[in-house]
Amino acid sequence: MSAGVTSSEELRIDWKIQEDPDRMAAFQAHIDAKGLVEADDWMPHNYRVGMLRMAEHHANSEIVGALPEGEWITRAPSLRRKLALVAKVQDEVGHGQMLYRTSQDLGKSRDQMLRDLVTGKTRYHNVFNYPAPTWADVAMIQWLVDGAAILNQKSLAEGSYGPYVRTMKRINMEEAFHFKSGEDMVLTLMSGTKRQRQMAQEAFDRWWGPCLMFFGPPDRESTKTGPFMTWRIKTATNDTLREAYVDRFAPAARALGLNIHLARKNPDGLIAVKADGTPDKIEDPLIRLDESTGHWGFTQPDWDEFYRVIGGDGPCNKQRVALRRFSYEQGRWVRQAVMGCAGLPPSRN
Amino acid sequence: MQELSDKLKAPLTDLLLSIADDKLMLGHGASDWTGLAPILEEDIAFSAISQEEIAHAAALYEVVGTMHGRSADAVAFGREPSAYRCAELTSLGDDFDWSRAIVRQLFCDHFDLLRFERLARSLLKSVAALSKRIGAEEATHVEHADVWLIRLGRGGDESKTRAQAALNALSGAAAMLFEPTDGVDVLEREGIYPAGEGSLFDRWQEDVGRVVAEAGLTLEVVPSPADAVGGRRGRHGESFTGLLDEMCEVYRVEPEAAW
Repeated sequence: MSAGVTSSEELRIDWKIQEDPDRMAAFQAHIDAKGLVEADDWMPHNYRVGMLRMAEHHANSEIVGALPEGEWITRAPSLRRKLALVAKVQDEVGHGQMLYRTSQDLGKSRDQMLRDLVTGKTRYHNVFNYPAPTWADVAMIQWLVDGAAILNQKSLAEGSYGPYVRTMKRINMEEAFHFKSGEDMVLTLMSGTKRQRQMAQEAFDRWWGPCLMFFGPPDRESTKTGPFMTWRIKTATNDTLREAYVDRFAPAARALGLNIHLARKNPDGLIAVKADGTPDKIEDPLIRLDESTGHWGFTQPDWDEFYRVIGGDGPCNKQRVALRRFSYEQGRWVRQAVMGCAGLPPSRN
Repeated sequence: MQELSDKLKAPLTDLLLSIADDKLMLGHGASDWTGLAPILEEDIAFSAISQEEIAHAAALYEVVGTMHGRSADAVAFGREPSAYRCAELTSLGDDFDWSRAIVRQLFCDHFDLLRFERLARSLLKSVAALSKRIGAEEATHVEHADVWLIRLGRGGDESKTRAQAALNALSGAAAMLFEPTDGVDVLEREGIYPAGEGSLFDRWQEDVGRVVAEAGLTLEVVPSPADAVGGRRGRHGESFTGLLDEMCEVYRVEPEAAW
């Protein structure tokens, strides 16, 4: 390991650290000139830790993100869909593998990252704490969630850390396939029977809110955006991405015959039902194109729910972490057999 | 496909279904590991194998479907349990025990490779061509399973114990892979499923036995009595019907609809 930092104490963001001013100036100038930072280049401590946090969180999200759709592999309704879904989930695991490699080079071992994930020390993307109770949810995840991921990752591919940027570009190519597959699944359902269309609408109602939250809290509440924008670890603000997302998906959903609803949710993530047995939802009154700005209006998602779910109290948080933990523990003896210790393949360094 | 006499159609359907159903169930079981395998790199590899198993099944269902005027999906998902021809081994759950998943794969992959070697010499040219293509991929599955069993057998006490336990647990079901499908003797005589040198069982036992020995493990498979009836003739246990119900859950919501 070259410039790696290993103890968890050293892996904390610390703005009090005094970096060498000349090196800092040269580093910032390199980044301002759109230069890329490589794994063995000098980098400020907080850049390394910020980048590691982001790559690790992203890697965690890929392998936890494999779970809600993975549940449907055994039940996919045709040979073609079954094959496509296995391949899709496999891609997500592959993205996780690439991103863990990127993170390993920044100084944290893979086994430590997997252990931190299963013990709840680190997190993964909030969107995967929601349930996928029907086949139509698989379609919506591939269309709406992967669509959000592509938008986010395209901005991240403009970042400054070379290994991560190249990984984003590769991932985005595969995500484009997932998105097309999702679009095809939604289109098939919406062109199908009444029951299939209803399944699709109900799944859309479940995922629209979490997808608006996908890009993180409103800019006025986001603490991370400032310094990381200067270093181009992040390249677009949460609100900018959210607006671009609505501009893309609100008209697309309506063109497919889907309505955009404001829906009240139960703690289990399902849409609440009124006394008369119908879903407790209304059409979002703000969904329309503002000719003057060229942007679509929308009602902000429930940010209280966002903070509640991110704080661990979402519909599926426990279930997702428990399944990853199960996999980690079930596989321990195999890793021991193959590598002689509980650890995972070391970083290239 | 060349014209088939009615006398051959039923036995050929049974034979092809026995292979396709084995592969669908096996691929289905392996695909369940996607996202949950012990090592990320292996997760990707095992998922690729599961996709190939399902794709092989799909290609064979296409052949059967063409013979009977049905879609491959209808053949795959639209039959009564008693119309499936898979051996019990392929639908036995592994309880997310990697040694069981590998041993199940090892037994079935070696068996499939032998079946495809024979079918690749079939007088039915389309079946022969397809079998050559599938056989080439099957050889990589065999290699994967062999390498893993050897790793597990030589990977220390716990791993060795688990691998041996999996071999012991699945050896009984392995014998029923060899249950003949109805009319297979006619297909052999007509050159559609040409027999090779020595019995299928002997060759399989030799191939698998070599790997087991290299892994430092032991295996005893007792051939099933000639009159034992199992999956090849539509007699399935509860594990199979449960698995089939899960597999067809969405398909059965609206079997006529496109998904």
